[in-house]
Amino acid sequence: MLKLIGSRLLLVVPQLIIVSSLVFLMVYLMPGSPAAAILGEAGSNPEAIARVERELGLDQPFFVRLGSWFGAALTGDLGNSLISGRPVADQILMRLPATLSLVGGGLLVAMIIGISLGVLAGTHARTGIDRGVTAFSSLMQAIPEFWLGLILIIVFVNGLGIAPVVAWVPPEINLAAWAGGLVLPSLALGAGASALIARQTRTAVAEALSSKYADTLTAAGVPRGRIIWVYALKNAMVPVLASSALAVSILIGTSLVMERVFGFPGIGTLLINSVAGKDFSVVQGAVLFVAIIIIIVNLVVDILYGVLNPKARPQ
Amino acid sequence: MSQTAPPKTQFLSVPAEAESKTSVGSRAVRRFFRQPTAVLALAWVAIVAIAAVFAPFLAPFDPLQTNYTPEGVLQGPNAEHWLGTDDAGRDVLSRIIFGARIALMVGLGSVTVAMLIGVPIGLLLGYRGGWYDRIGTRFIDIFDALPGMLVAFAVIAILGRELYAIVFAVGAIFIMNFARMARAITLAERGKLYVDAAKVSGITERAIIFRQILPNLIGPLVIQGAILTGAAIIIESMLSFVGIGLQSSVPSWGGLLGLAAAQIGVQPFLAIPPGVVIVLTVLSFNLVGDGINDTLAGDKRKRIKPVRRVRSERAPLAPVAPAAPFPAADQAGAAAVAAPSAAPAGAAPRLEIRGLHVGLSTPSGQTPLVRDVSLTIGRGEIVGLLGESGSGKSMLARAILGLLPPGIGISGGSIRLDGEDIAGLGEKDLRDIRGVRLAAVFQDPMASLSPVHTIGKQVMEPLRVHFKMNKKQAQERAVELLTRVGVAHAETRLKDYPHQFSGGMAQRVAIAIALASKPDIIIADEATSALDVTTQAQVLDLLLDLRDELGLSILLITHGLGVAAEACDRVAVMYAGEIVEVAEVGELFEAPKHPYTAALLSANPTRSDAGDKLPTIPGVVPLAGQWPVGCHFASRCQFAIDACTVAAIPMVDGSRCIRTTELTLEVAQ
Amino acid sequence: MNAQFPDPQVHEIEDPLLRVRDLAIDYGTNTVFGSKAKRVVEGVSFDIGRGETLGLVGESGSGKSTTGRAILRLLPVADGVVEVEGVDISSYGKRTPLGYRKQVQAVFQDPSMSLNPRQPVSYALTAALARHGIGDRRERDRLTREAFDQVGLQRAHLERYPTELSGGQQQRVAIARALVLKPKLVVCDEAVSALDLSTQSQIINLLADLQQETGMSYLFIAHDLGIVRHISDRIAVMRSGHLVELADSDRLFDQPHHPYTKRLLSATPADRPEGREERRHTRRAYAEAHAAGQVPMP
Repeated sequence: MLKLIGSRLLLVVPQLIIVSSLVFLMVYLMPGSPAAAILGEAGSNPEAIARVERELGLDQPFFVRLGSWFGAALTGDLGNSLISGRPVADQILMRLPATLSLVGGGLLVAMIIGISLGVLAGTHARTGIDRGVTAFSSLMQAIPEFWLGLILIIVFVNGLGIAPVVAWVPPEINLAAWAGGLVLPSLALGAGASALIARQTRTAVAEALSSKYADTLTAAGVPRGRIIWVYALKNAMVPVLASSALAVSILIGTSLVMERVFGFPGIGTLLINSVAGKDFSVVQGAVLFVAIIIIIVNLVVDILYGVLNPKARPQ
Repeated sequence: MSQTAPPKTQFLSVPAEAESKTSVGSRAVRRFFRQPTAVLALAWVAIVAIAAVFAPFLAPFDPLQTNYTPEGVLQGPNAEHWLGTDDAGRDVLSRIIFGARIALMVGLGSVTVAMLIGVPIGLLLGYRGGWYDRIGTRFIDIFDALPGMLVAFAVIAILGRELYAIVFAVGAIFIMNFARMARAITLAERGKLYVDAAKVSGITERAIIFRQILPNLIGPLVIQGAILTGAAIIIESMLSFVGIGLQSSVPSWGGLLGLAAAQIGVQPFLAIPPGVVIVLTVLSFNLVGDGINDTLAGDKRKRIKPVRRVRSERAPLAPVAPAAPFPAADQAGAAAVAAPSAAPAGAAPRLEIRGLHVGLSTPSGQTPLVRDVSLTIGRGEIVGLLGESGSGKSMLARAILGLLPPGIGISGGSIRLDGEDIAGLGEKDLRDIRGVRLAAVFQDPMASLSPVHTIGKQVMEPLRVHFKMNKKQAQERAVELLTRVGVAHAETRLKDYPHQFSGGMAQRVAIAIALASKPDIIIADEATSALDVTTQAQVLDLLLDLRDELGLSILLITHGLGVAAEACDRVAVMYAGEIVEVAEVGELFEAPKHPYTAALLSANPTRSDAGDKLPTIPGVVPLAGQWPVGCHFASRCQFAIDACTVAAIPMVDGSRCIRTTELTLEVAQ
Repeated sequence: MNAQFPDPQVHEIEDPLLRVRDLAIDYGTNTVFGSKAKRVVEGVSFDIGRGETLGLVGESGSGKSTTGRAILRLLPVADGVVEVEGVDISSYGKRTPLGYRKQVQAVFQDPSMSLNPRQPVSYALTAALARHGIGDRRERDRLTREAFDQVGLQRAHLERYPTELSGGQQQRVAIARALVLKPKLVVCDEAVSALDLSTQSQIINLLADLQQETGMSYLFIAHDLGIVRHISDRIAVMRSGHLVELADSDRLFDQPHHPYTKRLLSATPADRPEGREERRHTRRAYAEAHAAGQVPMP
């Protein structure tokens, strides 16, 4: 087990280096000078720009800047916002709870709906139930999550008035309000990913049930229920888990937009505002932060994969 | 998608003669248009395309024409503005029609960009392999881990908000997707024999990639392309929605939704039309993709009608009418049982199959797969079921076990286990029979064990289910069983997984699972066929020992003459769904009664001198659904006469041949 | 390999078509720290004469197919000599001259896999002819039809796709593909193993007929001893990457020298029930002897 975790952790290091270099390269390639963004009105003066660039170290060669970016990032220093001047890391950390809550809620919805529908369809392969689930997941995959969010607001908040006014409440202030406020956003966010998971689970379960080992166990008199829930499901979870990293990545990407629909103060809002306002250091920090979250999720998925699939464990 | 091979359903995919005369392409097109949902989806895509091309003629208003009067903005649907107006008084319908241009341009454009960059990368990695592949795949993994939206944000931040930038931003998300797919398919194709064969012919690598491998990529690429076009439309709408897509004056579906979100309290209807159009369009692209997929691969989700047994064909309890064909079929068998096995005289046979029919339900009716099979297996007897592929022998095994695949069922006859008819019983009733009285061992030992569970758990499973043993008891018994079947160091191996076993050892484990609940009869379906000869001999010997020791009855299904000769007491020969001969093993190999048996034995190279020409059987086995009236073997039989093809041939005196008595069949010895 | 049973004497043949001496083949497994080579075939030596069939038998993992693939230059030779017509193929480097490809052809096991599912079956032949610069388009079509005739296929089969042919017909196409280049040596790698018995005998006869007509040599790789005995002049037995015995077919079957050959023969089902009790007894005695540690092999 330790060997498994160790070997996976080793792979994370080059990933982190590559991703942070990419993020740096991205900002490096952005048109316009950050100095101009800082100076605002005064940005038309070339001398002023040159002075600010010197102060920020922007006149240094590419690799020197890359090195100092690495050094700072390693200590958790992501620089200061060009516009507000506040440390980027603080701003991101402040907005982290909203994003994590949203993604967590969406993931929970996606997993619960996706796996139950997938198992239902897989165990009833080639029946009306199977076709029904397929149709439902096709529809869910075609609905943009943010639009589903709008529709949920129209129906439950504006129309019926049965849902609480959706708003972000930090959990440490009011746990119930935090949970209540998460219901609609999580549903909207998780619906698309649930379709993806349902499809994969369906295929994997149907395949597991038509496998030779299911035949062997059936022929040995093991009841179908046990074959489904103990044997088929664990086998089916191997491919489902392998693709769940993708599902999480999609969830995080979509959540950045979903924040806007429900007015959540998360990283997405910060990122979008910074892209629009050319606040390069915030963009850089936020992108890196999201990428690191994804790498951590991948790491966890990878380790779980090794736990589930004995063939993937290091010998 | 890797799929375990379903029980041989070769007959399902072979096109009918008439169809094979037309070209493969036009057949595919016809198959596509036979799917109503795919056709409807294609129609909607066509409507969107027409709207995009002819937008200036179709749109009732100029999409940019504003009307800031209080009555003009945020109108609901009315006679003049069918879908209302937005916050600047612009006609929503017109903006949606013009929005189709952006949707299609971004959708198709980004997919094209992604394909043009991603496919060559994937081809290179997949074909070159080695270090290219390892490093390249790592990169793909890292890129792929980044959320698409983040990539799009970044690209837009660099390139700006022009249309080309959006196309490239969305395309960048899909590049790795195509690269990964092209790599996976190339890697799979590269390992196939036809690539080796092309290399041996001297064909160059480049020609192999472009002429041989690329055609295999086109189907999946088109499917993926259709589905990602839909995804691109969603992503474009998300970008416009959050206001970093195209400029807000450009009419796009996502932009309309962005405005709608701001006015949701005032005019909620504004959010409906663009959303519905997006959903329909994306859904249509997905369905077209699914439709192409089903056209190429066959619909794996199509509903299947179950096969019902014809009640009236249930065999009577005892052979009442002496004229009935099937009891006669087994006379040889019944006589033979007494001799080799130690069964008490007069005891009922362990398993008795009478007039069994198995059929596949198709849209045009039922195709018979097994026809009028009668066979008995005595206590402690090993009966061989010998047949070539397509003979229906495995279907027969599955029918006995109640493990027929969906769409295939018992359409007539009976299967009596100790006198009780078990044909077509439900799951619940079978639970007390399978394992306890009837068990099975299948061909591929590795596939017969769950790869993610320890073998200990799998051997203990039937013990815990049937004998309600606790963990400790089950563990002890599992060790006993594994030791008995020849797994060394069983205690320590309980914790091992199947991939840590060799094929022969895995098959021993499968036998232990079958033995766990002390069954009376074991169906061994090609249980030794996938093994090497020395391992095969060991597993066969194990089965023989178990028979001697436990008095097991065994139905040994095989295509190998040697296996049948080496292990069976009696052998039934199957050809094209029918049993054509049943005889005691010595008799069958020395003096076969049916021309097919004789021909099969003669075709065996060990019976001919080296260098001599082998006797052959002309032609091929007729496929299920194409069986002739009368004798199924007639068209390949050198003794066939007109009477052979007139009516179904009954089984008489252990042979399904009307000329049995007049023929003297010679087999090379 | 145990020293008790040294590798068999090479049957030197005068002016052989194929000469293999001390062949070694490695499988590279790449790790993070570079590639590790595992030797899977070692010290294999044999000759194949003109018009001769050499059978190569062994169980899975014995290296028999690997040896065949190295001769086909689908795998690199790690060490030793492989000469066709006196030219060592390791002198070719990475590329394989077309002349070699023309001389040495192959028929593989699974006929449905050895043809590209997306192309009409005749494409494999015309493409090979075109690559070797043989004839113009019309001439190539004629040669293809001729090869189809030779293997007993009809004109109508030319434009079919692999899935539209039976297994036996597919294998005939594969043989035609090898044949059309008029090779001197054909490596038949389990060429009839995937076929049903009744089809198998047709293909074996076809291979024998073609050999008589053209005088080609076969390296016939198979796990089925019965078939190999029928078709081969001499037989080589491989085990764990080594050649354990090489002898004339009859001698090998009637008087096997090596214990492994004996064991292989006793394990092979005899295709007739007579004497099976004795055979079972022999096997049991062997297993007991093995359990008691008296026999050097598993």
